[in-house]
Amino acid sequence: MSQELIDAITEMREDDVVAITNQLLDQGVAPTDILMSCKQAMDVIGKRFEEGDAFIPELILAGEMMTSVTDILKPRMAEEATSDKLGKIVIGTVQGDIHDIAKDIVAFMLDLNGFDVTDLGVDVPPEKFVQTVQETGATIVGLSGFLTLAFDPMKDTVTAFKAAGLDDVKIMIGGGQIDENIRQYTGADAYGRDAMAAVDLAKGWV
Amino acid sequence: MADEFIPSPEFLARAQRIQDAFELRQPDRIPLIMGFGYFLADYGGITRQELHDNWEKSQEILEKATLQFQPDTAFGAWGTPEQSKALGDRMTKWPGYRLGPQASFQFDEHEFMKAEDYDALLHDPSDYAIRTYLPRAFSELEGLALLPNLGMSLYGYYSLGNTLSLLAPPVIAAFEALKKAAEVTAVFTGQQVESAMRMAALGFPGPSFLVGALIEAPFDFMSDTLRGMRGIMLDMLRIPDKLLAAEDMVLKTQVDYAISFCRATGFKNAFIPLHRGSDGFMSLAQFEKFYWPQLKSMILQLVEAGITPTMYYEGVWTERLKYLKELPKGKTAGLFQDTDIFEVKEAVGDTLCIMGGMPIPLLKNGTPEAIRQHTERVCEEVGKDGGFIMTSSVLELEGISPENLQAWADATHEFGVY
Repeated sequence: MSQELIDAITEMREDDVVAITNQLLDQGVAPTDILMSCKQAMDVIGKRFEEGDAFIPELILAGEMMTSVTDILKPRMAEEATSDKLGKIVIGTVQGDIHDIAKDIVAFMLDLNGFDVTDLGVDVPPEKFVQTVQETGATIVGLSGFLTLAFDPMKDTVTAFKAAGLDDVKIMIGGGQIDENIRQYTGADAYGRDAMAAVDLAKGWV
Repeated sequence: MADEFIPSPEFLARAQRIQDAFELRQPDRIPLIMGFGYFLADYGGITRQELHDNWEKSQEILEKATLQFQPDTAFGAWGTPEQSKALGDRMTKWPGYRLGPQASFQFDEHEFMKAEDYDALLHDPSDYAIRTYLPRAFSELEGLALLPNLGMSLYGYYSLGNTLSLLAPPVIAAFEALKKAAEVTAVFTGQQVESAMRMAALGFPGPSFLVGALIEAPFDFMSDTLRGMRGIMLDMLRIPDKLLAAEDMVLKTQVDYAISFCRATGFKNAFIPLHRGSDGFMSLAQFEKFYWPQLKSMILQLVEAGITPTMYYEGVWTERLKYLKELPKGKTAGLFQDTDIFEVKEAVGDTLCIMGGMPIPLLKNGTPEAIRQHTERVCEEVGKDGGFIMTSSVLELEGISPENLQAWADATHEFGVY
């Protein structure tokens, strides 16, 4: 573990992150060890986000730094390191709605917390959610929607899972206007107000 | 109009009610404003696309709904897709334009301005807008990129040779598209004026808080229009000084625009929808550096110029209510989306006119009885001593049942009497 790399990431010094990564490689440190340090640093940032000490700018820049590091490491890695995942989740913004900001943050935090996340993007029709769950064997689905117009497609998606006989799949919903009223309306299993609520719900379901 | 408009007692009473609430007085009863939006399409049995395309029909439906629910002010779907169609707009989607006939209007945010463009924007914002930004944001304006640098290219006789560039076919096409946009805007504006006159004749004043300069907080302008959410968040950490310099420029430009717009039109209002200032996007330290000082300065300058700004505090502003107390008393209004409306009253009830009170999710899924009970509590607690206008948390009522709207309107009429 490189404390120097961890500090550089958590202190948002992105130039240093690249320099230190290259240095470590030159010193013969294994790429998997460097990735361990990255994970450690991301845990710190995730914790700060949970506690209200870091916000979206830090989360996005952290994501950028991770991309830079993995770009450097990729050619040096024999094969992708596979680690045990907590569970599989399919996530997307429902049909008719093209808002992605909140959905991206939820996907990012779920990934950071050890879930295998399949992100279907925006304007996703109910059948696509069902089909992807069938293909991946995911046990949890996250539906995002910002507009009032998203309530009905959310309901339709929940209904589509029931119709496909996938009653065991747990469905959570979230987005600007989502509350208990809309959870009831859509028939979803739960709703969350923010990314951490989504993580807590998912952890409770695996 | 040949005949002079003589306002009815109902029109005058409604207008007075809203005016009183704006100025923190207690009216005869709590005013109710309904932004029907795409609700009108379902209510009138037409598609959302037709609601935009068939003005006469949508006006009839608006009048029918207004007469049924009896708000003090009502309006239908926001804006028109016609300008976007004329210009090949890449930043919006409308039913019938980049969306199906039953979809709803949405912004389609992109990083039209790159991080490396800050110097160009700051050096000459007009040149940047015309030759770089517009060709990226509007497909029909791509030809403008062929123009020579605008700074000095048409300054007097020595530079008249540059007029040659105006003959390039893509440039001509861009000017044709702008002309088309101007024409459809003229048609739309005419429809809006006619709609206002027809509503006034029925006794309903227009939504004056919306009719005026539409501007954005400097941070939101940089985010929504130019850099996009991802870009702006990175700029805060990577190039904070450039972002702050750009915000200062945007602040000055928007205030100048709003004041000259109001002078030219006689309107006295500005509407400022707020996006990234909500709790959750940035820390309070970042808010105090990148968001609030610029927004506050904008608000104070508008108030100084005799303009009443209405801010739409989108999202949740619980942690930020303390800043709103710094605003001049009785000079602004705030429409609150998801901030607890009772906390809002407690914190800023004596500072600004509060709008909101009815959450869309309750209207969507609540029983008429639950809606009635909530309305009663809002009227009693948030309406106390005036300075309050009842609206839904989002000024868009699509997907809400007429029964629930009726329950809300009836309860507001019943419990809103002072």
